[in-house]
Amino acid sequence: MKVNIEEIEVKEDKTIKELMDELQLSTAPILLELSGRIFYPDAIKDRRLKRGDKVTLIPLITGG
Amino acid sequence: MKVRRIGRVLLYDEGAAEELNIEEVAKYLREKLEKAQVKVRGNPFALWLEKSSDYARKLASIKIQDASRKIAPEQEPLYGEVSYEERRILGKTKSFGVLYDGFQLQRVFSELIAREERSLEVVHIFFTNRLFATWEENNKRYHARTSVYGVPSVISTRGLVEAPAKPREYYLLKQQYEVLGRDLLELKGRFKASFIDYGDERLTEVIKGYAMQAVFYHLVGNPFCEDKGCRLYNAHWQEELIFAQLESRYEFCECHTRILDSLRKNESEH
Repeated sequence: MKVNIEEIEVKEDKTIKELMDELQLSTAPILLELSGRIFYPDAIKDRRLKRGDKVTLIPLITGG
Repeated sequence: MKVRRIGRVLLYDEGAAEELNIEEVAKYLREKLEKAQVKVRGNPFALWLEKSSDYARKLASIKIQDASRKIAPEQEPLYGEVSYEERRILGKTKSFGVLYDGFQLQRVFSELIAREERSLEVVHIFFTNRLFATWEENNKRYHARTSVYGVPSVISTRGLVEAPAKPREYYLLKQQYEVLGRDLLELKGRFKASFIDYGDERLTEVIKGYAMQAVFYHLVGNPFCEDKGCRLYNAHWQEELIFAQLESRYEFCECHTRILDSLRKNESEH
């Protein structure tokens, strides 16, 4: 599980679901920022990303 | 370390403890962040009252019944549970006692934010007295939490009392008091300095540090610091919480102080 907010660049065309599976984050509590907008991955799982697209991974972090 | 820009900080009162002074927290954030706009928005459900029954159903369906069993997705709530949540949304009760799944609660709250404001440049902080917990796969049970950092971040005033553990000696004596039928208020009085309790006048000061954790989550992607004297320390014990938020000789460690300073400098250069 990633700890910090991090921007990644998509290496090849794929769906959000494929990206999450590849990063082993399918079940992780996480948000994504795409083009300045924030989403829960399961709400846009079929959206296609193109090579070179930037995605910011925003893990939800708990305290206490 | 990459430091992101923050344009606005928006504070919401989702039925937080009455002793929390959100205006004072806002004033503190304005001092720390100088040019970022800090606003208090009040009850986040206020603009969505026509959908109160939908939100009531969603909140009732994320209630944890048993801390050793992960809640099922879209579990069907009882009529009375939905009705309770609707009264809570409409401000007809402030009672508490329900334990929610923290990540699901964060998601329900995210729906109350306008889409165009869901951005890393806008820090949304919901103060609530709802107690929440998150599932830990390693020991297969829920653990109560003080906060979830995300968009929005959620800080629980009840979580600050219940989630960080009290001193070990307190729990041992509590058992003895219960066996002997002695007054637990007397015991709480003995340990008053060692933990945050309900109705605690120190709550607003403590919350300032947790609000800064939400701010740093946006600024650098990590709300926490390893330094036990820094307000960003992720306290798991009440004594750690009190030290980091109230007793430490400094507010922030050198590294996080530098980030705040550089932010002011950069902002003044624009």
